[in-house]
Amino acid sequence: MAKPKIGIYGLTGCGGDQLMILNLENELLDLLRNVEIVAFQEASSVQQDEEVDIAFVEGSVSTELDLERLKDVRKRSRMLIAIGDCAIGGCVQAMRNQEMTMKEKMEEVYGKGEEYFKVLEPYGLSKYVNVDLELQGCPIETTEIRQVFLSLLHGDTPEIKDYPVCVECKLNEYQCLLVDKGMPCLGPIIAAGCNARCPGLGIDCVGCRGPIMNETNAAEELHTLLEKGYDERYIENRLRFFGANFEGILKLSKMLREKTGGARGK
Amino acid sequence: MTSESLDAFVNNLETYGKIYGPVKTGESCSFQEISQSKEMALNYSRTMIPPKKFFLKLKERMFIFDERECEYEETLEDGKIVVFGIHPCDIYALKLMDKIYLDKNPDKYYQMRRENATLIGYSCHPDEYCFCQSQGTNYAVDGFDLFLHELKDKFLVRIGSEKGNKIASENSKFFMDVESSDIQEFREAEGKREKEFTLKLAINGLTDMLALSYESDVWKEYADKCFGCGSCNLVCPTCRCYDVVDNVNMDLKSGERQRMLNSCMLKKHGLVYGGKNFRPTRVERLRNRFNCKGSLREDMMNCVGCGRCTVYCPSKIDYVEVLRRVRGEL
Repeated sequence: MAKPKIGIYGLTGCGGDQLMILNLENELLDLLRNVEIVAFQEASSVQQDEEVDIAFVEGSVSTELDLERLKDVRKRSRMLIAIGDCAIGGCVQAMRNQEMTMKEKMEEVYGKGEEYFKVLEPYGLSKYVNVDLELQGCPIETTEIRQVFLSLLHGDTPEIKDYPVCVECKLNEYQCLLVDKGMPCLGPIIAAGCNARCPGLGIDCVGCRGPIMNETNAAEELHTLLEKGYDERYIENRLRFFGANFEGILKLSKMLREKTGGARGK
Repeated sequence: MTSESLDAFVNNLETYGKIYGPVKTGESCSFQEISQSKEMALNYSRTMIPPKKFFLKLKERMFIFDERECEYEETLEDGKIVVFGIHPCDIYALKLMDKIYLDKNPDKYYQMRRENATLIGYSCHPDEYCFCQSQGTNYAVDGFDLFLHELKDKFLVRIGSEKGNKIASENSKFFMDVESSDIQEFREAEGKREKEFTLKLAINGLTDMLALSYESDVWKEYADKCFGCGSCNLVCPTCRCYDVVDNVNMDLKSGERQRMLNSCMLKKHGLVYGGKNFRPTRVERLRNRFNCKGSLREDMMNCVGCGRCTVYCPSKIDYVEVLRRVRGEL
């Protein structure tokens, strides 16, 4: 059987997710025995724009060029996997979505009258194309991408951790930072997969893996943290940092904006 | 046994396996390996993770496999352990777990660990979250090897099994005969303890009440508060659902099978072949969890009143309050 062809591409983002694939270091050569990599933006200048079995795409769609490239990749891939928060919900680039227009953002950063890029409001891939699998994380975990490769090559559906960080804290018997210490931990609404790395070190979850798809009870996270004495704007910012485009958080932001008569943002 | 003998007695327990006891870890408590009795916080109220973790591991590798040879090899650890300081509620919970994992089709991982373990109970005082009295699990009649009741300057020790009897006779130098004054003191202490319970839950007919409240608005109300984070299940001493995952190695032929505790509050718990989910919404999952806890396994209820789910719920959903609402008491 011919080796499956793999393409690894990047849109707007830091390149950290591709780097996590390169971090497989010791196993990369073994992996290459099983797959043929025809494009790997961060690892090789050789870029063959041919049909692939699996395309891994990181980064958000933040420019018209991103969108053009995404559509092209989708057209020539059998399976498209979004890797990292940028490619799923836009991640930090989307933090101020709906709060400011792109024009306002560009003016604030680059000054009036300058137009360096044809920008779009940052979103993940699924806003524009059909995505077969989403692997959360900022960045993704090396162990997870490894498991996705191996599961697919073995003919299985990769196991996606669509449950909260709380589960991993309990399985590791880490003290609950929210309940026991009153820290502003986002664990209850954030996708696991990190093996609760931060809470295990006594650091409350900031939500870098992004909220859980269609399961995020953002209103209750706000309520819980307000009860613990945190400021409403602080909590909203914390929720929006990695998750501004997620349904539950969008709704919450809208509700808060309406409550304060739109005098928010910036 | 006198209070002064505790240290030496605990040291001697080494003969029967690695000793685990309740140890203070930050603001909560956890059963950890100890070498001396003073490392334990024996006046603890509850550990976050119950002693089920010794028998149904939080996560473990079950076996390694090789598809080429169609072979697998189990990778069980088999050390003898002594779990010291278990409270009555947790003893009842293990009795329930035994019914699930030992009767009919025994789980050999659970069985081996259970056989390798010595359980030593320890008396406790309720806090505002304990409702074991209502569940009838506040006094362990059996299910332990030894049980220590703390009195003023001594312990009244009950023997609950052959194994416990053997330990007692091999350590007879620590034990004295019970005198009538001891019995009097024990009786008074137990009577006093009975009055310390403040939280009550009426469990009569609870199973039926739950069934009759299937359409209740209470479920929706609490589901709106619920994160669906699974903490309640994972800290529950009687929740026993697990998930199994195969991880293949780079050769795509060999690998390992892992199992870890799972939670019926997570969306994948009800996911079955074909992408169907028989509990797709949080309301359905929450209602299911309460119905499971309020149901009977033979003659035992699936809840022992330890209070962990209330204490460790990040959105402060109060188990007893929910059931009182369901009954229409609140």
